[in-house]
Amino acid sequence: MKVTFPHMGNAWIVIQTLFESLNVEVVVPPFNSKRTLNLGTKLSPESACLPLKLNLGNYIEAANEGADTIVITGGIGPCRFGYYGEVERQILIDSGYNYEVVTLEPPDGSLLGLAKRIRFLAGTKNSWAKILMAMRFAYLKSVALDRVEDLIHAARPRLSNPALTEKLYEKAKEQLVQAMTEKRVKDTVAWVQESIRERQEGLNTESVKPLRIGIIGEIYTILDPFSSVGIEEELGRLGVEVDRSIYLSGWVGNHIFRGLAPGYRSIKSYPKHAKPFLPHFVGGHGIETVGAAVKFAREGYDGIIQVFPLSCMPEIVAASVLPKVQDAYKIPIMTLIVDEHTGHAGIQTRLEAYVDMLERARLLQESIQTREGVLSVGG
Amino acid sequence: MKIGFPRALYYFDYFPFWSGFFHSLDIELVISPPTHREIMNQGLKKASDETCLPLKILAGHIQALEDVDYIFLPRMVSVEADTYTCPKFLGIPESVLPAVPEGQSVLTVTLNWRNSKRQVLKDLEVLTEQLGKSKAEIRQAFNKGMEWQKKYQNSMGAEWDFEDSLNKIESASWDSTESSKSSAPLTWKERMISIIPLTSDKAEKQNLPVGEKSDRLRIALVGHSYLTHESYANLNLLRKLHEKVDVELVQNVRQEDIEGHLSGLRKKIFWSHSKQIFGAGNKYAQDQRVDGIIYLTCFGCGTDSIIQELVSRKAREKHKPYMLITLDEHSGEAGLVTRLEAFLDMVERRRGHEGYVSTYGECLDSDSNAL
Repeated sequence: MKVTFPHMGNAWIVIQTLFESLNVEVVVPPFNSKRTLNLGTKLSPESACLPLKLNLGNYIEAANEGADTIVITGGIGPCRFGYYGEVERQILIDSGYNYEVVTLEPPDGSLLGLAKRIRFLAGTKNSWAKILMAMRFAYLKSVALDRVEDLIHAARPRLSNPALTEKLYEKAKEQLVQAMTEKRVKDTVAWVQESIRERQEGLNTESVKPLRIGIIGEIYTILDPFSSVGIEEELGRLGVEVDRSIYLSGWVGNHIFRGLAPGYRSIKSYPKHAKPFLPHFVGGHGIETVGAAVKFAREGYDGIIQVFPLSCMPEIVAASVLPKVQDAYKIPIMTLIVDEHTGHAGIQTRLEAYVDMLERARLLQESIQTREGVLSVGG
Repeated sequence: MKIGFPRALYYFDYFPFWSGFFHSLDIELVISPPTHREIMNQGLKKASDETCLPLKILAGHIQALEDVDYIFLPRMVSVEADTYTCPKFLGIPESVLPAVPEGQSVLTVTLNWRNSKRQVLKDLEVLTEQLGKSKAEIRQAFNKGMEWQKKYQNSMGAEWDFEDSLNKIESASWDSTESSKSSAPLTWKERMISIIPLTSDKAEKQNLPVGEKSDRLRIALVGHSYLTHESYANLNLLRKLHEKVDVELVQNVRQEDIEGHLSGLRKKIFWSHSKQIFGAGNKYAQDQRVDGIIYLTCFGCGTDSIIQELVSRKAREKHKPYMLITLDEHSGEAGLVTRLEAFLDMVERRRGHEGYVSTYGECLDSDSNAL
């Protein structure tokens, strides 16, 4: 049995760790690329959302490397993602890929069924204690990954050479992939912190006050740089500090561990923030999106960008509520919708225009022009 | 007190419940007129761009309701155990509030059948204050609503028009239970008739052979009720079909049949509407009497993007002619008519030629439906 799984940003590092510590053979699919998307789009229903198309692409590319079992999480709706497993299974079988699909969820609410599925994946050699240990370690790693990502978010607008920052990020990820002890994981985070501090020395960081933009929206697209066309990196290069509503471990803590583990940046508080605007959950992360927008607005962010795949149901509901948040807190909210036709240049143009607009607002705030000021320009 | 009920989305399917509910509370329901051009245009203006056609139409209907005390926009979270409705239903009323005229009050209530009947009753009791009714009255109204809803469901869309079905149930329930009360307030149906003048096509309908054995083709039209019965948005598809062929709808399938045709899925479908659609679609795919299936969806429908795929697989498996029609606000009539005619011609031809296709060049198109 060779297990594979769909990509979602850095999630592969965590999933790979989990299976490797259980001695399960795992195939990490090639990273999301134009090719992945093309392969997936060919098999997918036309109006399915972007993550499904990328998932299918991942499976096909992984099948070429010998994978025969897919692991995916599930859910009981009402977001479409909950039904991905079954649809993907049928599509793959009809297309001639002989995959076994294991959906990690309690089937019809039966925990025993979930245990059986985990047992199927982990084989008979692993004890339950070992499985739990492996899950804990993978979780710790995901928290560390998020920590590193957040550090990079802060470093991008502040450090001078963007290429070096990206290199640091890549290196940190590489180290985390290889880290198999808790100490190594902790050391990596410390090392990233240290290198950023080193490079900050000599720079006059006090005077730099970058714009802050909160990124909210559908989890897959905001966690996966390929589908969001690298929006975070792009914004970082434009001198913006980015924060995100959902981090991987926050999702893992809530979705997989059912809230037993808070994760980095817990998503628990969002529904409370969203209440005046959207008092009921709408599936997916719709309510979290609204809640995060309110939270970012209250924390004084300069702008908010919502990202979601075309036709995403929960996010459309959130998007139709967000104008109210925008009015209430006087914060500009931009919506970016991505699909398989999204082009880099289009997104880049919109981001630049948006950042320009925010910078302008800030400049105006700093110097309210007086009559004399205008006259002195005139000479 | 007058409560406005938009003729969109949950109107098709769940209106019997709400009409029974409000009727029992002695509250007048005002229903917006059938969709017309102006309603559609207003809806497009006020609704969020990304949302789907039915919600845009709902936004239009909200604006078409005038002179009412409240506009009723319930949050139908779930209508049966272990399922949800579409996420966009869950976002009502917040997501359509921009369409509500300024100063107009909105009446909303959460209806969630996931847990238990007790929970539903508890949620409905929220209405006591706004409507000035007692808890006992709400409870009674709930029972009345359930009774009417059941009657509607048991009729299984006997009449092919939603309004006709309502009419039939209404008259039946009136005769049996409350005929003695001649002083009863106007029934909602009577009120409705006063709003929609029933035009000449009523007579036309009656001439159609109903249930008669004929050599006409039998085509199944599957899709959300708020699309198949929304005759303005679907460009009168149902009537067009009915003129030419015998039509089967999702509503015509018995609940047991639907449940029976859900097996074969490894995971239960968790959207109630989609469950019905898949069960009915699967049944029609296997039904020898049905000559072809038309799946009606609208652009951006999230649940259909998944379910349509599953139904089309079933149809292909059984070599059943299958067509997908996707509606949006730009749908043109000529395009639809052409596709419909081509599809019906193909199905008819297939019947005449017993699906004979020359074996020359076999397997050129392995995906095709041809036998």
